[in-house]
This record gives sequence, structure tokens and C-alpha cells, in this order.
Amino acid sequence: MQEPITIDRSNRRLGTSPELADVCFACGTCASGCPATGLVPGWDPRKAIRAIALGLEQEVIDSKFPWVCTLCARCEYVCPMGVQLVKTLRGCRILRERDEVPGPIHKGTIMNFERGNNLGIPRDDLLFLLADLGPEMEEDEKQPCPGFYVPVDKEGANIIVTMNSKEPFAEPDDMKFWWRIFYAAKEDWTVSSTNWEGVNWGLFSGDDENWKIQVGRVLENARRLKVKTILYPE
Amino acid sequence: MAFGDHEGDKSRWIVSQCCENVAEMCDSPLNNLCCGAGGGAWAMPYTEERLAYGKHKADQITKTGAELVIAPCHNCRDQIMKGLAKEFDMGNYKETMYIWELVSESLVYEPWSEEEIKKAHAERDAQFERDGVELEELE
Ligand code: SF4
Ligand code: SF4
Repeated sequence: MQEPITIDRSNRRLGTSPELADVCFACGTCASGCPATGLVPGWDPRKAIRAIALGLEQEVIDSKFPWVCTLCARCEYVCPMGVQLVKTLRGCRILRERDEVPGPIHKGTIMNFERGNNLGIPRDDLLFLLADLGPEMEEDEKQPCPGFYVPVDKEGANIIVTMNSKEPFAEPDDMKFWWRIFYAAKEDWTVSSTNWEGVNWGLFSGDDENWKIQVGRVLENARRLKVKTILYPE
Repeated sequence: MAFGDHEGDKSRWIVSQCCENVAEMCDSPLNNLCCGAGGGAWAMPYTEERLAYGKHKADQITKTGAELVIAPCHNCRDQIMKGLAKEFDMGNYKETMYIWELVSESLVYEPWSEEEIKKAHAERDAQFERDGVELEELE
């Protein structure tokens, strides 16, 4: 027989305000509409919320479920009690020990903090790559853009654009789609030579501090270059 | 943009300006599902779960009968193109494009005038000099 569960609600770190877990009445609507239900044996969003309401939050934090959940918010949209499932499930990610965050997202977050982008691409490498891609755009066979170059650190531009580090790293030609749109629209745009990363892995890894730092840097770039609009192609 | 806010209607309008014969993913946006790579799942080591989640999306894509799937973000595009397309038979499916890729490929525009090109090159050269970038192919 299974050991009886002793409920301890006094030392909870999650779900302590009513909209988080306590108002759940176990209807199961969330679980029936969740595409992740059944993917992690023993878990679905209802069980996660019930476990938290019953004081078993550590079990949810230790489980794979909050990471297989895509934070898509379908459950939250349908919950008749307004339980904030996404905030709660992401809350489980926050409470994971940092060295137990699955995959590269914690490493990427720290890399971003230390070097300004998730993959640690050095400033000079980026500048050279961007310069190199200019003539390719100008001479493109199908859609040539004579006069095109990537404006870097251009003060007073109309739009500042963040980049996804996987593109300069592995798929540089994919940056040309946006660039051609800017060219055709004669947009006055720019990118920053530092802290240009648009992928904010702190959001996914549950690292609020670095999440905020990165957003702050994107803002700071816009302020430094006196640009009014930020474009996040993420 | 969040589930149920119908902000996707803006993307639908953009796509409809670029393509004829646009098929909806399913009967209602509320029955539309995440591709399975959201929330950082694309970078997570749980490949099996990510693909099992994405099977719902693969089935939706198959049902549309579409050849081209438009994705609004980097993760969706990678999941559909590099994940789902390799794992599942999606019927008529041929390729995935970013929505901004579709716009870019659909553009009809005039190249800039000689004057505009000259001005841009001068700005570019000044920028390269400021940043110490030297490109051999230029001049
Ligand atoms: S839908 Fe809401 S009330 Fe129903 S089980 Fe899920 S969290 Fe609880
Ligand atoms: S947010 Fe997570 S738990 Fe809720 S429906 Fe989406 S995948 Fe399921």
C-alpha cells in the first residue's frame, strides 16, 4: 500500500495566492485540452496544480512536466476558475536548481549575460559577417538590392532590430529576408554591435534576473542610439 | 500575442496578401495547437516528447492538404521543418517558411537610384572605417 500523504501547506513557495492554485476545483478541463497530457507518465496540468495545492510542490518541480509543457496557455484559457497555470508551471522552472535546468538554455542564458549573446559570438566576427553579406544582397540574382548594407550602431535610426544568434552562427542567409523588406521599404534601420541577442532564454529557463537584464540591454541599445522603435523578430 | 487573443488574424491578413489559395490550419484558432517546440522545448533534450506533442500539429498540417506551411517564429519553423517533416508523413507538405520570408520572397520593388546607392555606399564606408572593418572585395 502507498504511504498516506501528509499535507503541508504552510511552507509553500508556489501557488500561494488564490489565482495560482488554491481555487482549482479539480474539474480537469485543463488536462483534457492540453497537448502535453500523457507525455510524461503520471503528469498533466490538473495533477500539477492539484499537487501544488496539496503541498507537494517539490514533486512537480522535480518532474519533467513543466519542461515538456510548452507554456502555450491553452489550459489557462479554458480554466473556469482563472487559475494562472502558465505562471505556476513556469514558477516550477524558476525553482529548479540552475545546474539541473535541462538542455543548453541555462548555459546560453549565462553566456548571454557574460558575452552579450547566447552563443558567445565575438563582436568582430559579427561585424565582419554583416559586412560580408552586404555585397551578396547587392548582387543577388533573383532579387538584387544595389546599395544595401547592414547599418550598425546607427544613431537616430527609425527601427533597431535584434538578432537570433543561431542565424549569424549557422543560417546567416536567413537574415536577408528581413533585410530585403527594409531595403524595399527604404526603412531607416539599424542593429547594435553589442548585446544584440533577441532570444531571451531566461524566460524559458526560469531565470527572472537574467530575463530582465537582457530586456534592459535591448532597451539600453535603443536609448543609446536614440531609436524609438524596437523590432524583435522572435 | 497569447492563446485566444486572435492576434493571429494580423498574420493571416499578411499571408493572404502574398498567396492565393490559403488554407486555415483548422476550423477555429481555438482548436489550433502549439507546434510542440514552444516554451524553449526546441532546445530541450526531450526530443521524444517534443515530437509526440508535435504529432497533433503534423496531423493538422496533413489535413489542410497544403504544400507550404507558414510559421510565425524561429522555433515553430525549426520544429515543423526539421522535426515534424522528418518524423511524420504530412501528405502534400513540401516546405516551411517564416512569415517574413514569405513577405520577402513576394516583394516586387525597384532597385534604388544611382544617387541613393552612392549615398548608401558612402555611409557604409564611413561605418566600416569607424568600426575597423576591411573588406577586400570592395574596391
Ligand atoms: S481547469 Fe482550472 S479548475 Fe479545472 S482542474 Fe484545471 S486548474 Fe483546476
Ligand atoms: S501551457 Fe502547458 S500545461 Fe497548459 S495546455 Fe499548454 S502545454 Fe498543457
